[in-house]
Amino acid sequence: MPSNTHIPNSLIIVDDSSVDLKINSRIASLTKLFKQILCFNSAEAALDFLVENLNNPEVYPLFILLDIQMPEMDGFEFMKRYERFPRSFKEKTNVVMLSSTDDLGDRTRVESDKNVVRLLKKPLQIEELKELLTRIYK
Amino acid sequence: MTIIKVLYVDDEENNLSSFRANFRRLYEIYTANSGAEALDILSQTEVHIVISDQRMPNMTGVELFKKIKKLYPEPIRILLTGYTDIEALADAINTGDIYRYITKPWNEIELNNSIQNAYDVFRTRRELKEKLMELQKTNDELNRFIYSISHELRAPLASALGVLNLAKLDNVFTESEKGYEYWNLIEDCCARLDYNITSTLQYYKNSRYSTVKEEVNFAKLVDDLVTMHKLANNVDDKIRFEVNIDQPEKFVSDIFRIEVIIGNLISNAIKYQKPEEKDKLIKIEVKVNRLDAIITITDNGLGILNDHLNKIFNQFFRMHNQKGTGLGLFIVREALAKLDGKISVESVLNSGTRFTIRIPNNVPDI
Repeated sequence: MPSNTHIPNSLIIVDDSSVDLKINSRIASLTKLFKQILCFNSAEAALDFLVENLNNPEVYPLFILLDIQMPEMDGFEFMKRYERFPRSFKEKTNVVMLSSTDDLGDRTRVESDKNVVRLLKKPLQIEELKELLTRIYK
Repeated sequence: MTIIKVLYVDDEENNLSSFRANFRRLYEIYTANSGAEALDILSQTEVHIVISDQRMPNMTGVELFKKIKKLYPEPIRILLTGYTDIEALADAINTGDIYRYITKPWNEIELNNSIQNAYDVFRTRRELKEKLMELQKTNDELNRFIYSISHELRAPLASALGVLNLAKLDNVFTESEKGYEYWNLIEDCCARLDYNITSTLQYYKNSRYSTVKEEVNFAKLVDDLVTMHKLANNVDDKIRFEVNIDQPEKFVSDIFRIEVIIGNLISNAIKYQKPEEKDKLIKIEVKVNRLDAIITITDNGLGILNDHLNKIFNQFFRMHNQKGTGLGLFIVREALAKLDGKISVESVLNSGTRFTIRIPNNVPDI
C-alpha cells in the first residue's frame, strides 16, 4: 500500500443540521488532515454516494462523521446498511458517530457495533478529533 | 352496567335448564353439557364466570378448569360438587384452579352470592390489569419523551457551542475589546444552559431508571470524565488533575449513577476554584475493596462556609451567587441514595474542599 494511506484521504460528514455541517467541516478543515471533505444532509444521500464510489480509489482511506439523530434514516439505520458493504470497503473506512445528547442507550449501541470507532458528544472539539485521528492513522 | 356472562357446565340436562330458569333474568347465560362443549363456547365467547359440575363423563370439572386456566386465565371458576369428591377438590383449591366450590344441590341465594363475589374479583383483576397497562404505556411514552426532548433541547445548543468554538479558532473573540466581552458573555450563558439541561436530565433519569449491576473500571471511567470536563470547561492547561486509582478488586455497581456522582463533583471542583490561585489542583482518589469503593475528590478552591456545609446537598442551594442551578450536589445525593452510598464533606474556607464517597461493592460473594 502507498504510504499516504497513513492519513485519511476523504472525510464524509452526515448530518441533517446545516449549521452542524458547516461547523464540523470547518473544524475538520482546520485540522488540515483531510484532502477532501464531503457533506451530506441525509443518511440516504451519503449511502448513495458510497455505493456509487465503492471502487473509486480517490475516496480512500475514508473517515465518516455520522450524526445519530436524523429524520427518515438515523445513524443506527445507516450503520445497518453499512454492515452490508464489502469487507474491502470497511477495512479502508472508519466511522465515528456524533450525538448532541449523552444517552446511555445510544452509547451501549455504539459500543456493541464493531464498525464504529467511537461516539463523540457535540459540539465536536478540534483537539478531540485530532487526537482520535492520530490514534487511528498513526 | 355490563351484563355478567356466566357459563354453566353440567352433563345433566335438568340441571342446565333449572339454572337457566333461575338466573336468566339476572345474567347472560351459556350452557354446555360437557367439558369439550364448554371449551368450544369459551373459544368464541368471552365469559366472566364458569360454573361446572365436578362429576361428568370424559372430563371432570377439575380437569376442565385446569384446561381453562391455561387457555383463558381471566374467567373466575366455581365448582359444584358432592361431599364425596373432597380429595380432587383439595388439590384443585391448592393449585388455584378454582375460586370457590359449592356443594350440590345448590340453592339459588348461595349460588347467586357466589356469582356476585366472583364477578367482583373478575372486575377488580381486570381493572388492575388495565391500570398496569396504562401505567406501562405512560412510562414508555415518558421515556421516549425524555429522549426526544433532551435531543431537541441540546441539539441547537450544541450547534451554538460549536459556533463559539469556531469563533475562537478563527480568532473572532479577540478582534475587538467589546467583541471579546460579548462573545464571552454568550459563551457563559450557553455553558450555563448546557449545565442546566444536563443536570435536569440526570436528575430525571436517576429518579426513573432502575439501578443495574455492571462491572465498573474506575481507571477508564475517571479518565473519561476528567477528559470530558477539561474539554467542556476549557481548563486543559489551567488546572492540574492528580488521579490515583487503586482497584485490585472487581467492582460491580451502576455506571450511569457513578458517572453522575463523580462528574458533578469534578464539575463543582472546577467551578469553585480560586481565580487567583497559581497552582489550581483537583485530586481524585479511588480505593476499591471487596465491600466498598471509597472515592475522594479534593480541591484547593474557594471552600465552603461552615454554616453552609449542611445545606449544600439541598435542592436549589447555591453558593457565592455562582452560576449553576443548585442541582449538582442534590443530584449527587439522590444518585447515591439509589446505590446505598454515603457522602461526607470537609472544607476550609479559602483553602479547599474534600468530598468522600463510599459506594457498596455488589460483587457476588464467592
